[in-house]
Amino acid sequence: MLFSEIYGSYFNVVAAVLAEAAEGRLTERRLTELVQEKAFAESVLAIPAALKNGDWPLLGQNFEPVIRHKPTLPLTTLQKRWLKALLLDPRIALFAPDATGLEDVEPLYRPETFVRFDQYADGDPYGDEGYIRCFRTVLQAVREKRRLKLRFRSRTGARHSITCIPYRLEYSAKDDKFRLLAAGTRRDNVINLARVEFCELLEKYDPDSFRFPEKDLHELVLLLHDERNGLERVLLHFSHFEKETRKLDDHLYQIELRYDQEDETELLIRVLSFGPVLEVKAPAEFISLVKERVDRQTAHMFQTEGSVHL
Amino acid sequence: MAYRELIKSFARICDYMREFYVYGFKSRDEYSAKSARSYDNERRRIESWLGDRMAFRQDAAGKIVFLSVDSRQIPHNPLYKAFKAKSFTNKDITLHFYILDILADGRALSCREIVDRINDGYLSRFSGTFSLDESTVRKKLKEYEGLGLLRAEKNGREVLYRRTDGGPFPLNSWSDALAFYSEEDPMGVVGSFLLDKLDNDSDVFRFKHHYILHALDSDILCQLLQAIDGRRSVELTARNLRNGYGYRRTVCPLKIYVSTQSGRQYLLGYYYRGRRMAFFRLDAVKKVTINGEEKLYDTYLEYQTQFDRHLWGVSAGAGHSLDHIEMTVRVDPGEDFIVQRLEREKRHGTVEILDDRTCRFTADVYDASELLPWLRTFIGRIVELKCSDPMVTDTFHEDLRRMSALYGGGGDAVQ
Repeated sequence: MLFSEIYGSYFNVVAAVLAEAAEGRLTERRLTELVQEKAFAESVLAIPAALKNGDWPLLGQNFEPVIRHKPTLPLTTLQKRWLKALLLDPRIALFAPDATGLEDVEPLYRPETFVRFDQYADGDPYGDEGYIRCFRTVLQAVREKRRLKLRFRSRTGARHSITCIPYRLEYSAKDDKFRLLAAGTRRDNVINLARVEFCELLEKYDPDSFRFPEKDLHELVLLLHDERNGLERVLLHFSHFEKETRKLDDHLYQIELRYDQEDETELLIRVLSFGPVLEVKAPAEFISLVKERVDRQTAHMFQTEGSVHL
Repeated sequence: MAYRELIKSFARICDYMREFYVYGFKSRDEYSAKSARSYDNERRRIESWLGDRMAFRQDAAGKIVFLSVDSRQIPHNPLYKAFKAKSFTNKDITLHFYILDILADGRALSCREIVDRINDGYLSRFSGTFSLDESTVRKKLKEYEGLGLLRAEKNGREVLYRRTDGGPFPLNSWSDALAFYSEEDPMGVVGSFLLDKLDNDSDVFRFKHHYILHALDSDILCQLLQAIDGRRSVELTARNLRNGYGYRRTVCPLKIYVSTQSGRQYLLGYYYRGRRMAFFRLDAVKKVTINGEEKLYDTYLEYQTQFDRHLWGVSAGAGHSLDHIEMTVRVDPGEDFIVQRLEREKRHGTVEILDDRTCRFTADVYDASELLPWLRTFIGRIVELKCSDPMVTDTFHEDLRRMSALYGGGGDAVQ
């Protein structure tokens, strides 16, 4: 059902080719370019040939289209039902799309069908008018390449006021929060959108002179002792990182993953959550952090003479 | 058979993509269950679809291929590409553009009229042997009616077909929403299809803690959502992920549980034969057959509400009996964030401030062993841990002892 050729890259590319042909702009070179741009690496071996040799009788000999209109495709029932389902999500208030055409459509699902059982409970206030206003201003600034003036409170409660270039909105499903990634005059900022108290659109900046700030990436080397289904649990849990895994023996693996230095504490507790299944091998500073926590815990347990069973 | 970039069946390539993405340490020889040629073809396809995301390494076992993606840095899930590689026939693609073009002016036409127009107005321009008979066209019209691209209208004994789009859909107004939900929503692949229709791609969003593997289970999820929406029971054909054994279960599907911390998705349903609630991992389900309407749907939904109150994750333990667990945590001055952590991560538990230095988390859950990974994230702060299931505290202590030994501490000090 989802796996249908009508959603496929080939159909999309051919639609784009026919659209250009309808405007009389299609050339052999442009045909190749469109295929390279919109389809897969090896599609260039298949699509132009099929269009030219008549396997797909859609183009004349001089690249004129056989069809009479620019190709368009109605939305499928599934696409409409999915869009209708989005209209029930509280976060849709941030976007306010035009719902015309979906009036008589049944949603594919309702928000309560999904239970995100381990999502944090202090997510952003998507129904708050001030939050929505701020979100839309930020969105507009990112889209239109404009500077922003922001006033926000940091985690410690301190007030900050900055002028910045906002370049992305980052969402975490685990935190259920949006963060604004912005380049400031002196430093780069990651600001929880819910902490922003005031924001104002400023002038446009020159996008050509803007360089995306680089992350301070470090490499963590872990040994994975495969027990209690650890291999699958660990690799799935860390699957969103850029990583490389090597098998050392039947039950021992080495994982190298690259992480943002700013997320070190979070990564530390994630590593701890796997207990002795994961052993940190590098960097030395990270090992010290684990050791310090393990030693502190050992001391706590020793002090309280362990725990009791109820 | 000659290699083709497109595929007929999704299942096999899906297994390879999963292996390359999650594990990524196997050499060609280790894919022993499949033939070498099959491996070569599937690898070549995935490289063709995901070129820049693929990585290689040479080691003693041979060439290792893996998918290396920092999903925080990318705007689109690359695994969606597998859904855009379905093979088709020459007639499929030709008919697609002919039919939608013939009906583009809003008229309703019969199958016969459409066939005539195809032959007279389109195919007549070519001298080749390409031909389309009425039954092929009729089949395509019915297929497109099922997909919602066309609407069938009765005109006496004749059936007329018309496009379903009266006017243009305001898809451009959805641009940012699609960029967000195509990644965030569990059925985001549909958003990816819609984004393909837009000329300008919104590049505003990025996603942290972004699990992308669920994309490969989208078809199964879609069928389950349709069953849930229709309050119908389903027969699941599944495979045990550890031993590979196949099994079937007939269940009343109720909810989809999603882990934002591993990306795993589960169906929670009422398992008729076992007379209990049961979870099924979506990546273990290979086929969903939708059965009839379930008359007791509201009753089962009420069971689910009750059942959920004592779940920590997705385990009901043995016999649905409850474990009581208490963790007392030390909070040093300036560490209010620890209390905030407990509050936001407690799920169905409760948090109590004992004094200005300690607070206690308490919960009654079906399976307290599910809390172990979370408890370990407080290592260094736990001053007391109690549980009615001794296995939980024993495991915690034993793990701590082993960790202490791993990092050169005095492991024997831990009781």
